[in-house]
Parts: sequence; C-alpha cells; structure tokens
Amino acid sequence: MDLFDNLWLGMSVVLTPTNMLLLMAGAMIGMIVGIVPGFGPSAGLAILLPMTFGMDPVGAVVMLAAIYYAAMYGGTITSILLNTPGESATVASTFDGYPLAQQGRAGPALVMQAVASFVGGTIGVILITLLAPLFSQVARSFGPPEYFLFAMMGLLLLVAMVGEHRTLGVISALIGFALGTVGVDLETGQQRFTFGSAELIGGIDFIPIAIGLFGLGEVFYSFYTGIHVSKSGSIVQYQKERRFWPEARDFVESRVAMIRGSLLGFVIGVLPGAGATIASLMSYSVEKSASKHPEKFGKGAMAGLVGPEAANNAASAGAMVPLLTLGIPGSASTAVLLAAFLLWGLRPGPLLMTQNPEFAWGLIASMYLGNVALLALNIFAIPLFVLMVRLPYRLLAPAVILVCTIGTYSVHASMIETWFMLAAGVVGFFMKLLGFSPAATLLALVLGPLAEEALRQSLTISRGSFAIFIERPTSLWIIVITVAILLLAPILRRFQAAG
Amino acid sequence: MRKVFTLLILCLAAFYTWAAFADLSFLSSTGRLGPGFFPRIIGVGLILASLFELTLESSRGREHVLASEHARTTLIVAGLTGLFVLSLDFLGGYLAMIAFLLASLTFLNRSRPVQNVLIAIVLPTVIFVMFEHWLNAALPRGMILPEWLV
Repeated sequence: MDLFDNLWLGMSVVLTPTNMLLLMAGAMIGMIVGIVPGFGPSAGLAILLPMTFGMDPVGAVVMLAAIYYAAMYGGTITSILLNTPGESATVASTFDGYPLAQQGRAGPALVMQAVASFVGGTIGVILITLLAPLFSQVARSFGPPEYFLFAMMGLLLLVAMVGEHRTLGVISALIGFALGTVGVDLETGQQRFTFGSAELIGGIDFIPIAIGLFGLGEVFYSFYTGIHVSKSGSIVQYQKERRFWPEARDFVESRVAMIRGSLLGFVIGVLPGAGATIASLMSYSVEKSASKHPEKFGKGAMAGLVGPEAANNAASAGAMVPLLTLGIPGSASTAVLLAAFLLWGLRPGPLLMTQNPEFAWGLIASMYLGNVALLALNIFAIPLFVLMVRLPYRLLAPAVILVCTIGTYSVHASMIETWFMLAAGVVGFFMKLLGFSPAATLLALVLGPLAEEALRQSLTISRGSFAIFIERPTSLWIIVITVAILLLAPILRRFQAAG
Repeated sequence: MRKVFTLLILCLAAFYTWAAFADLSFLSSTGRLGPGFFPRIIGVGLILASLFELTLESSRGREHVLASEHARTTLIVAGLTGLFVLSLDFLGGYLAMIAFLLASLTFLNRSRPVQNVLIAIVLPTVIFVMFEHWLNAALPRGMILPEWLV
C-alpha cells in the first residue's frame, strides 16, 4: 500500500495545470530536438537546461525528464526515415526501420515504433517503481570485468548478425576500435594518434561519425543508385500499401518482441555506461535468433524494429535507477539531470526518496504521464513525418545534407568535426557499396574506449591474469549467455525447421 | 573495387600499427598495461583481417560491384557538400547554406528555378532562427556579414 500511496503522492504533484503544461512542452521540444541530426537527449538537455532556471524544482525536473524521453523518440524518427541515427542506442532501429520506409511502410513503422517505445518506457517505469533498490544492488556488483564482457558481447552479436560478409564486419569493427583510440590515454595521459593536433586531443566524437557514415553516406549511396531519377523519385521505392496504421499482423509479430525488449532493456539499462546501446543490439540479436524467419531481418522485419525500440526506451528508464538510488548517473543524459538536481539543492541517492518524496515520486509519476503524452504526440505527428519520405529526393537530399552539416557543427562549434563528418560520409558510401558494416564501425567507436578501460582495469586487478573473467560468477554468466545466443540459436532454428 | 578499398585499409592499418609500436609503450612506467596495448592488438588484427579478406577476394575471382550511370551525379553532390563545408568559415553559416542550396538545387532540380530560389532562402532562414535563437547553438559567423546582423 505504501507503493500506491507514494505513486498517488507523485501523481498529485504532477497533475497540476502548470506541471502538465511543462510536461507537454518538454515532450514537444524534446521530440523536435531529437529529430535534428546531431542533437540527442544529452545535447538537448544541456542546451535546454537554462530554460528551467527560475522554475519550481518539481516543474523543472518534470520538463527535463520529458525532454530526455522525447529526444529518444525523436532520434528514432530519423533512424527510420533517413537512416541517420540520433544516438548510438538508435543505430539498431536503422537495420529494419529504414527498409520499411523504403517499402512505403514508413507510417506503420513509425506507429509501431511509438507503441514499442511507449510499452518499453512504461514497463521500465513500472520496474523502477517496484524494483529500484534490488536493481541498484545488482548494478553495484558489476565491475570492470563485467563491463568489458558486456561491451564485447554487444559487438560480437552485431558482427555475428552482419550476414555473409563476417570478415568485412570484423574489419569494420576494428576500424571503429582504431578510431576510438585517438586522443588521450586515460590512464597515462599520453596522447595517441593525435600527430600534434590540438583538435584531436579530445578524441573523435560519435556524432560526426554517425551523421557522416549513416546520413551523408546514405545520401551519396542513394544518388549512386539513382533514387532521384527512379519511378517514384523518392525514398519510397515501391508502394506495398498506402496504409498509415499498422496491420493486425504487425501487432501479432511484435507483441512478444516488445515485452522481451522492454525487460532486457531495463535490466541492461540499469548498468552505468553504454546500457541503451548494448540493450538495443542485444534485443535485435535475440529477436533475430528467436524468429521463425530470421532471413527477413535487415529487410523490413517489424520485430527487428520494435524489439530494439522497446529496449532502448526501457533502458532510458533503467538508467534512472543508479541516478535515483545511488546518485550515480548512468549515461550522459542522466549526468545532465544530476547537474540539474544539484542546482536545485537536491541530492540523489538512498535518502532522496525519504527526504524529498514529492520530488522523487513526482519524477516517477511524470515518466508514466510523459509516455502517454509522447504516444499521443507521436501518432498525431506521424503523418507529417511520413510526408518526408514522399518528397522528391532531389529536393530532400540537399536539405538533409544541410541539416546534417549544420547540426554537426553546432554541437561543439567545431569545424574539424564537420570535416570528420564529411570524411565519414565518403567512407560510409564506400562501406555501403562494398558490403562493409558502418553500424559495426560506429558501435565499436562507442564501445571500444569502454572496453579498453574495463579490460585494463580488470587485468590490473587480477595482476595480468585473464582468469578473472571466469572466476567471477557474473562474468561467467555473461560469457555463457553470449555463447548461448551465438551458438545455440542456429541449432534451435534447425530443430524448428526440421519439426 | 572492394580489393582496392581493402588494400587501402591494409595500408592505413600498417601505418596505424607502426605508430602503435613506435610511439606507444606496451607497458606503462608502473608496469601496468600501457597506451600501446590496445592499439597494437587492433592494428595487428586489422592487418590480418585485411590480408584474409584480400585472399578471399582473390579466390572469389571477379567481383560484382554495383556499377552506376549516376556516379557523376554522386561525385558532384559530394563535391558540392565539400565546398559547402569549406565555405562555412568564410561565408558564415547563413550565406553558405543559401549558396549550397542554390548550387545543388540548380544542378538537381534544373527545371524549377523559382522553387529553387524560394527553398534556398526559406530553409536557411528557418534553420538560422531555430539554431541561433531557439536552440542557442552557434552557427559559423563567417567574414562577410557584420557581427550585428548575425
């Protein structure tokens, strides 16, 4: 009963006209910010944080939480419509989302994405409410060996799914790892591969590479394949159906994927670090392994879109667990939220829920309501977004190049990053043309530094012994699960086919 | 074409590995794994994977890469994008956007000059207002327009 009393307290705090207005405003702003290439939840939060100065703390955090969630929704829209992921967690949405748009099913894809995000976010919030203290204990048991294995698991699963050209997938991942080593070595402070350039000391950021590889690379590739002079002249290459709403089979195909993705996403999202990225990749891998038709993945399988979508939204909720219970931000976005909490004199941690219950439960209640608001907003806005894929490509492409370039520049006001974006665009074009995997490169760029730091810390702890990865029960479990997904799934599929 | 691309990766991997061995130590001064540990593994792995792929390519025989009559268009679009990035510092964000859109739409959408001019003015204006005033995100200033105007 305590739980319901607390939730009721939270609801009563949020359900005021002012706070509801702030929630809706935050949702709309967050979605628009998320749609702009280069602006993900963390950049959006950092830029919009000053808007909340002078507001009541509860109202301000309701608005910021709405921006945080909504930016994730918005980032997926560009993944589906333009093959340009807004964040590393939305890369997996491009695998089947963009092919669906090309097949004239952008509307159903966006609706299913909104529903999956709603389901993932809602399940995530329910799990926070019920299990936050338990999950924070699990998170505390994770150390460097587990983080290393998790990062490697995410990459291995991706490379395994690349398809026939596994070697090209491995090469792509290694390129990403190599790019991730540029900058300053965290342990020794030594510069690596900077060649005396001050601009490279900070390393190579994810955003220009993502926008270049996926956004520009896709534009160049589309021109190369003649989309601009094709019969339709737009991204939609053939119109299977003109329906805006998904069909019954889409819901049937997706219902288990949504639940599975949500649970997986929340559990992984609790772990500080690249939780949402690994969660969405793992979900994609699990769905492909469990599917009776894995050959459809990568070509517009609805389960391949909704699983990762549910996972990354549930992971966004999961990332709140270490923040609220331990005061440790689980991601760049929650780090900005932590800064906001401290500004208002609030200290997230074990005592937050007892000392400021209206704040903590108000935040949780706003997540429930935020999910509902975003679902409604998305569904009303989707017809507008779908128009984008029907625009003549000769008009759309220059606009996409423009927004990608300006978006990349404006994140850090850096010309060097803009040049990186252009170079990545050229490389992305050739990668796509020749069968390499831009996704593996990008994800290795994100996970590589995490994996390296964790590996070095692990070997320092174990004094150089790799046995640490087997001696710790949690590490062993991660290895077993990875092997199970990689090896057992094809065997199970053969049994299914024979049966 | 894939062979050439893989060969290029091999050359870059060789350079990367050489730099990792030459400049970065395997162990740090305190005996822990140093800054060269990961790069050496990546470099060697990349060289081996590229060599393996080249061997596979040779045994596969003639490769079928999608040939295209639109290569020229692709090259021009990429070139215009490069000029756009180059002009940002000089023209500034707003003027560079207008110039890029005018040039690219004139090339791609030749038959509708009025539409091209309208898009080339309206879209940069919307983006300028959105980024500069609403999102507070800096656009390149450039050297042409006076400070007070941007």
